Amino acid sequence: MDLLTTSVATVESDSEPYTLVELTGEADVTNSDALREVLDAEVAKQPRTMIIDLSGLRFMDSSALHVVLRANRVMDRQGGVLALASPREPVAKMLRLTAADQLIPVYPSVREATAG
Amino acid sequence: MAESPATSGPFRHVGFFYRTAKEYATTVAAFLGDGVAAGEPAFAALPAGQLSLVADALGADAGRVEFADMTEMGRNPGRIIPRLQAFVDLHAGQHVRYVGEPIWASRSSAELREATRHEALINLAFAGADAEILCPYDTTRLGQAVIAEARQTHPLLLSGGDGATSLEYSGPFGLPSSCSAPLPARPDTAMIHTYRSDLSQVRALVLKSAREAGLPDERAGDLVLAVSEVAANTLRHTPSSGTLAIWHNPHEIVCEVHDRGVITDPLAGRRRPAPDALGGHGLWLVHQVCDLVELRSDNTGTTIRMHMAIRSPRPLS
Repeated sequence: MDLLTTSVATVESDSEPYTLVELTGEADVTNSDALREVLDAEVAKQPRTMIIDLSGLRFMDSSALHVVLRANRVMDRQGGVLALASPREPVAKMLRLTAADQLIPVYPSVREATAG
Repeated sequence: MAESPATSGPFRHVGFFYRTAKEYATTVAAFLGDGVAAGEPAFAALPAGQLSLVADALGADAGRVEFADMTEMGRNPGRIIPRLQAFVDLHAGQHVRYVGEPIWASRSSAELREATRHEALINLAFAGADAEILCPYDTTRLGQAVIAEARQTHPLLLSGGDGATSLEYSGPFGLPSSCSAPLPARPDTAMIHTYRSDLSQVRALVLKSAREAGLPDERAGDLVLAVSEVAANTLRHTPSSGTLAIWHNPHEIVCEVHDRGVITDPLAGRRRPAPDALGGHGLWLVHQVCDLVELRSDNTGTTIRMHMAIRSPRPLS
């Protein structure tokens, strides 16, 4: 089984569709290139809103964080918004320690992220 | 007196050797009080017991000094420089005063070595900064070797009311010998694991050992993150495998990673990366979550020892 699986969907909502990326497993330096390819492909479609659901992510290291920060930079430049949803405690703590949670909004759930 | 390069410019780093609580409180309070009177930002990071002594001596001025408990802020001495840098940055353009006491008698020998390294690195990290730094040393309780090394890490000394330049100061790139000596041998009972690409297995081993050693879940997760970051560097920067050793005693669990990588920057992990930086978080995170980090690197490879106290009063949040 892969250490990290990603699934991508375009979700219709009351307001406007958003891109939902679900990460499951462990994200580290051994799969950060694959993660970058997935996020790059979605960001290139210039969505207004992209939400990364972290509820299935057991671990994230700084290489994976850098991939997310890079996606956030491009989303910013395109006038879009990237949000993170439902990180488990080890991942949430890592986002706090690096102050990434000051740059990218973090919500307790995907539903709250869509309400923005 | 002609100023040596070590003491030119606004940066001053003074080792203060004290013998009595009264001398301590009076001198530290005067140093901070002079700053307050001049409208300068002042910060004191001292062991909890010493804080009240200084605050009492300062009286009303205490309200204009920022205080921190050094047993928390500097539990891992590798976290002090970024914290002080944040204070200096917050008051950019102003002369700042800082009293830091990272060395006290009940510290372990590994902690004393790393606190001494921190003292040496202050000279490098803040060279040219508009900062005046006073570091108290309790000469009645600290060993002679610790005091001798304080003379090497401080360009200026204050003792018995007399200020002087330190003749033993080893310069901004100098390190006392205890800091570069090989690490003490690890115990024969250490568990050894060689990894090449599977970091998930590395993390699982650390988690299992941390739980068996009695580390609470949050701190076990911290140690997993730290070891994984260091092991990730093996994969990123070296073509060969790395070795993980884990051991514990009733007081602490230690994870040691050795690989063929070379780290030349003495301040690696002691600068807070910009939040949007796309690198430089690894070793910084290691210092943030661990109670003590020891690093030795030469052209044959790098060894990083990460310590976690087992009965820790408070986790880092």
